[in-house]
Amino acid sequence: MYKTLAVSIFAGLMAFSMLAGAETGSVHLITLKAVALDSGQLAYQMVKHKIKSPSGKVEDITQRYSQEASIPGPAIVMTEGDKAEVTLEHGIKSSSDPVSIHVHGVHYKIDSDGTMKILNHVNDQAAFPGKPYTYKWTAAVGTAGTWPYHDHTFGNPMLGAEDKGLYGTLIINPKSGKVPALIDGKVQNVAIKDIKRDFILWMHETTFWGMEVNNIANRQVPLWTNPTLGARENELVRFHVIGIGTGFHTFHLHAHRWIQPGTTHIVDTFNIGPIQRESFVVKAGEGVGPGMWHYHCHVLQHMQSGMMGGFKVFESARN
Amino acid sequence: MKSYKKTYLATMIAGIMLSWNAQAAKADLDDAILSTPGLMPSATLEMTDEPGLWFKDPVDGDALVVIKPGQAVQIKMGDTRTEHTITSLLWPAGAKDFPIDQEQPSNVSITEALNSPGLYVFTCKVHPYMFGAVVVDDPATEGLDIGSELALVTGIKVPADSDIAKRLLRTFFVVTTPDLWRDYREPEWKVNLPDIPLNIKGQTISLSALSLSMPNKLFNPKTPGVGEVWVNTQFEMIEGKTKPGSATRIDAANWKLVNKVKGVEQDLNHPHNMWSDKRYQYIYQTQWFDKRLMTFERDSGKVTSNVEVGESPSHVLTRPGDDNLYVAINNSEHVVKMKGGSRPAAIKSISTGKNSGPHGHFITDDGKYMVTPNALASSVSVVDLDTEKNTMIPTGGIIPIAVWGMPDGQRAYAANLLGTPPLLSSLTVIDIPGKKKLSDIDLAADYDPISGKISGEAYGLLPIQTPVSPDGKYVVTANTLSMSITIVDTGTNKVVKSLPCEAGCHGVHFGMKKGGGYYAYVASKFANNLIVVDMDKLELAGNILLADSKDSSIKAHNGMGGQGVLPLPLVEHGYLAQTLKLSGKKELSPQVEGWLKQLTKEQKGI
Repeated sequence: MYKTLAVSIFAGLMAFSMLAGAETGSVHLITLKAVALDSGQLAYQMVKHKIKSPSGKVEDITQRYSQEASIPGPAIVMTEGDKAEVTLEHGIKSSSDPVSIHVHGVHYKIDSDGTMKILNHVNDQAAFPGKPYTYKWTAAVGTAGTWPYHDHTFGNPMLGAEDKGLYGTLIINPKSGKVPALIDGKVQNVAIKDIKRDFILWMHETTFWGMEVNNIANRQVPLWTNPTLGARENELVRFHVIGIGTGFHTFHLHAHRWIQPGTTHIVDTFNIGPIQRESFVVKAGEGVGPGMWHYHCHVLQHMQSGMMGGFKVFESARN
Repeated sequence: MKSYKKTYLATMIAGIMLSWNAQAAKADLDDAILSTPGLMPSATLEMTDEPGLWFKDPVDGDALVVIKPGQAVQIKMGDTRTEHTITSLLWPAGAKDFPIDQEQPSNVSITEALNSPGLYVFTCKVHPYMFGAVVVDDPATEGLDIGSELALVTGIKVPADSDIAKRLLRTFFVVTTPDLWRDYREPEWKVNLPDIPLNIKGQTISLSALSLSMPNKLFNPKTPGVGEVWVNTQFEMIEGKTKPGSATRIDAANWKLVNKVKGVEQDLNHPHNMWSDKRYQYIYQTQWFDKRLMTFERDSGKVTSNVEVGESPSHVLTRPGDDNLYVAINNSEHVVKMKGGSRPAAIKSISTGKNSGPHGHFITDDGKYMVTPNALASSVSVVDLDTEKNTMIPTGGIIPIAVWGMPDGQRAYAANLLGTPPLLSSLTVIDIPGKKKLSDIDLAADYDPISGKISGEAYGLLPIQTPVSPDGKYVVTANTLSMSITIVDTGTNKVVKSLPCEAGCHGVHFGMKKGGGYYAYVASKFANNLIVVDMDKLELAGNILLADSKDSSIKAHNGMGGQGVLPLPLVEHGYLAQTLKLSGKKELSPQVEGWLKQLTKEQKGI
């Protein structure tokens, strides 16, 4: 009897949340292009990003992105309850190999898996020259977090070419608008709207590849290899660290601490394997002040090969 | 190479875009963006297992990229089954933040901005013929900038128009262009380099000035050998395999190619060195760009085992007496001891010292000591095989790569690929039981690296394998850069003779000459022949083809990549004695018994 009740309550909650999603979520209409860089590496480039709100209002946010292809690729930011239609264009001039986007974390139907028929048994879900492919993603409740997207077909229909630069970041912010963080020595919820900068760092072999989503200027800035991240003291900034390739890493940021997601466990280092990710919020320079704070992989051999950069905390802006 | 102009243009555009981006960010965003981007690579070299293209430009598939001053190159791992270092071999003298080097091999990726115009050549310390080059070209000067003065990793600086610099430049193009390798099936070897203007010390000269040609001549030794000679044709590309390499068998009785063991099912990868058990029943095969040791039946070629033993296993030996295997693990600091037979199994790891990177090792005839040249540690280790304790002897040699010892086990000779500064090219003499360095032999004492003048027999550059003849009289060394064979008299420790070899001259070992005496067999990486040296006369006795044109499964580099050489029966008396003990007891195959019957008393060591 009570079992049935529990099931019906659960079903009711599910129906409610799905309904809520349908009511409040925006739809992201995105066009990306895969291109070859002059260095011979491959990369994604943002062509168009429009957001259609539930009220039907359409906002074009393409200008927020870099006009160039970058590694990592454009960071796509959505909120739980949003949906996306992502069209990929094939712009790799030297090749007619299919190129795709396989996304992690969000919900999608089998035809948006971003793989070839040999793997998904349905169809080739990749862009060919002159023949784009569209993927549909649902950032359903429960998908909040930082996720990778990457190619799964180019050059090798089983593997793809993610390690050649075809990868990017998907950030799903929670519907609540809040994330827990260790701020002023206490675990508390902070409002996402108060986060000034999102620093994205991909750990590939012995190199960090960076991207900043700057929420003050509403701009994305490709930071390329082992960059210096900059923030003002006491700003809330969020780090997103993702692994790719074959290496296992230990990410460490000097003089800052944060909580392991879902816990109250305080850490200043974590392990990152391929496609594993962590994100955390810190108050820049909390308790330690301005300075060029080092960040690096703590695997000794990786450090020796230059897998490091700076987190430069500037003095607060004078009023 | 061919599309260097395209690369030129592309990198220029990239440079303009980058500076435009930076300016735009400055003007618009003022205080909001506080981050400073890191370097954006303008060119890439990916390290691979592909013969010649070990540093591959993904844009046009060669091993050379051209960038402008201030632009950055990325060097990273590509399609390779082992780990590497990224190490500067040469660079424009005074270039900022150079040389680049990693202490240990790994899956490293680096992005470096290069400012000084000129030639930068990179290699891997573990696999030191992996070459990739970056030319930093100032568009304001005529021709591709090679530079004025080049610094070598050995610590010396040479003018860019010196003989050694030109040899290195030509060698770079030969090594990284398989079409330029010496194919003895053609009547002539032609190194036709393209007419590309180079700027060397301010003078414009054409790369084609470094072209050369010479006739190809094959001939069999007049006196047959005894037994057979196995050669690792490490670069051969075979149908059904993604990785290169095979083992080629030559019958020493008639100098005919018998067969090739290809390891298709195993995807045999860069087979580098071999050894056999005391019955000559199995051949153990290291895969140098991999992690595995393959074992096959010598007679049938049937593969019986293919096991992981560690990163970049280089050489394998047995120990006279117990017939256990000792496999040098080049990317590590140990030698793996294994039970031999059809399916070798690891027993334990024996340390050769911290960060040693042992390569081509040696075990004394009495089985008491193992000597390892430590490629990554400028040292040689002597391991007492009973206690398995090692003593590391610092030698000052750069990349000690191979070692061999006297029949009495008293002295060993270690080849230092890049010399012992200030010596450009050297062998280090080691007192094995005394566990100390005795001296260095200057292999290039008669060579002037600036003018190229040769005033005697000692002109060997970049020595590799260096075995001692079984009578203890000579050390025979293969020199990869000078394309020569150096013969050192062990009585005086002086170079007494040099003989011509091939590009990438690499592997040497001795085999039995019929009626008494020995042949030295020499294999080269960028040619498909096996040179035979008569050790009684110290003369070339023959030149044998390692290619098999009738074998349609060989897709490319037929017979190329000569490295490990294994003549059977083994000439070392300590090893041979173990086989002779089994003779007449139905322990050996009729073929092996037949070989033993042909040996003289001296050859048998009795």
